[in-house]
Amino acid sequence: LSLGGLRLSLVRFSFLLLRGALFSFLAVTMTKLAQWLWGLAILGSTWAALTTGALGLELPLSCQEVLWPLPAYLLVSAGCYAMATVGYRVATFHDCEDAARELQSQIQEARADLARRGLRF
Amino acid sequence: QATGTDQVVGLGLVAVSLIIFTYYTAWVILLPFIDSQHVIHKYFLPRAYAVAIPLAAGLLLLLFVGLFITYVMLKSERVTKKAQ
Repeated sequence: LSLGGLRLSLVRFSFLLLRGALFSFLAVTMTKLAQWLWGLAILGSTWAALTTGALGLELPLSCQEVLWPLPAYLLVSAGCYAMATVGYRVATFHDCEDAARELQSQIQEARADLARRGLRF
Repeated sequence: QATGTDQVVGLGLVAVSLIIFTYYTAWVILLPFIDSQHVIHKYFLPRAYAVAIPLAAGLLLLLFVGLFITYVMLKSERVTKKAQ
C-alpha cells in the first residue's frame, strides 16, 4: 500500500466522518420540511446529472431508457399506492349502523332546536 | 363490517390502482430490457407517452380541483348575498 494511497484513504475517511457529524447536527436542528426539501434537491440533482450525462458516465442504453422517466414513474407509483390504501381502508372499514342512526337523529334534533331559536341555515 | 357498496368501491379502487401500477411498471422499467423484436412491444405506446399521459392527467386533475373550488366559492357567495 503506497503512501499516497494511504493518505487518500485517510482523507476520504475523515471527510466521511465530518459529513456524518454535520448531517447528524443538521438533522437535529432542521425542520421536517427542510429535510424533505434537501432530500428532494439531492435526489433531483443526482437524476439531472445522470440523465444529462454531465458526470461523463457511459451508462448502458437500457439503463438510460429507464432513468429519464423515473420521476414520473415515482409520482405515478406514489399515487397508485395512495389510491390503493384509501380503497383498502374504505373496503375494510367497520361501520357502526346503530351509532350512525343515533347520530343522524341527534343532528335533526339539534337543527330543529337551533331553527326554533332563530338560527337560519 | 363494511356495507356492500363500500366494499365494492374500495376493492374497485384497489384493483384499478394495481392494474395501473403493473402496466406502468412494465412500460417504464421492464420494456427497455426486452428485445425490441419481441411481440410484447405491440401492447405498449411509444415511450414518450409514459411521461406525457401522467403529466396531462395531473394537469386535468388540477383543472378540475380549481373548477370545483371556484364553484363552491361562487355558491357560498350567492348564499350570503341572498341572506343579506
